[in-house]
Amino acid sequence: MNERAGTTTVSTAKDTQDSEAKDPVRPAAPADDTADTGPTRETSRRWPRIAGAASAAALLVAGCLLFAEGRQLRDTAATSNRALTDPEATAEVVGEVSNALGRVFSYSPQATAATKASAKEVLAGKALVQYAALFGQVEKQAADQRLTLTSQVVRAGVTRLTGRGAHLLVFLDQVYERRGKAPSTAAAQLSVSAEHRGGRWYIVEITSR
Amino acid sequence: MARVGTTRDPLLVAAVALTVAAAGAAGWGGLSWYEAAHDDSAAYAQVRDDALAAGEQAVQNMNTLDHRKVEEGLDSWEDSTTGDLRRQLVEGRDAFVKQIESAKTVSSATVLSGAVTELDDRAGRAAVMVALRVTVTAPKGEPAVKESRMLGQLTRTSGGWKLSALGQAPVGNTAG
Repeated sequence: MNERAGTTTVSTAKDTQDSEAKDPVRPAAPADDTADTGPTRETSRRWPRIAGAASAAALLVAGCLLFAEGRQLRDTAATSNRALTDPEATAEVVGEVSNALGRVFSYSPQATAATKASAKEVLAGKALVQYAALFGQVEKQAADQRLTLTSQVVRAGVTRLTGRGAHLLVFLDQVYERRGKAPSTAAAQLSVSAEHRGGRWYIVEITSR
Repeated sequence: MARVGTTRDPLLVAAVALTVAAAGAAGWGGLSWYEAAHDDSAAYAQVRDDALAAGEQAVQNMNTLDHRKVEEGLDSWEDSTTGDLRRQLVEGRDAFVKQIESAKTVSSATVLSGAVTELDDRAGRAAVMVALRVTVTAPKGEPAVKESRMLGQLTRTSGGWKLSALGQAPVGNTAG
């Protein structure tokens, strides 16, 4: 104890590190397996580790930030809507919905059954329910007044398109013909919702604008 | 020494693996960002939405006019249009002011829905269709409300997308 105390007093007078390095068998030094590796070797081995870990962390953070930035650029409200950006899908939904509207809103006294049948092929959900309610009156009218209706889409545009659903704005012309009278034309604007099921588009909702 | 060697190696391997993974993440993030930044369809989608917003606003402006503020209204018409359409408006302005001031009508419009039907972002041309509700109030009688369906052509100018043609979607004779 006395000897150690004496050494400490001496070393405080000189440089501390110097005395430690000069005296490898000092009892004050840690007496482990690592005792033979001096403090200079400790630091020279630690620094590359710290630098390596820091650069790895920096790379990781940079990667995440770039990815997040990229997502922000790509996944906006505009890009999630594929109307026109996917021309094939846009043309397909416009074509199928236009064709379907023409079929379900066209009938003649002789062929109400055909119209009814085609409605089941192209309508679904709410649109089919609404149509069924409406068609009871239509059938009667067509028979009583010898009424023929021909509908044709003038212009249709897609307001929103995703993989499973679409919203369209449709301008429809409807020509009414009663026997013995001049035909009259009505202009309609419809908002149409459609769903893609089993490779085909079904109209699920029709709202008159 | 052999024991020290075996404890160090897994650490080194882990460090190298982590660094490689981090470099991979950085590379992947960078690639993903680069692709997004140069994604033409993302830019095209944005142009489409800009054109629709400008088109709907312009169509609404063109259906809004208050006889008490004719000059202001017609300025907004001219501001919403370009090319031939704007020239026609400018040329017919004086006659139109007289007509509106004597009719004393107030028209206001609400856009119900709109869609872009064509878009050429390189040429700076677009076609829009807009469903509109127009209310016209004359000095006498009830306001008349009518639904209107309009087709417009848009042209990109230095001041944004403007209408270069506007008309009602034709009724009947839809063969063409």
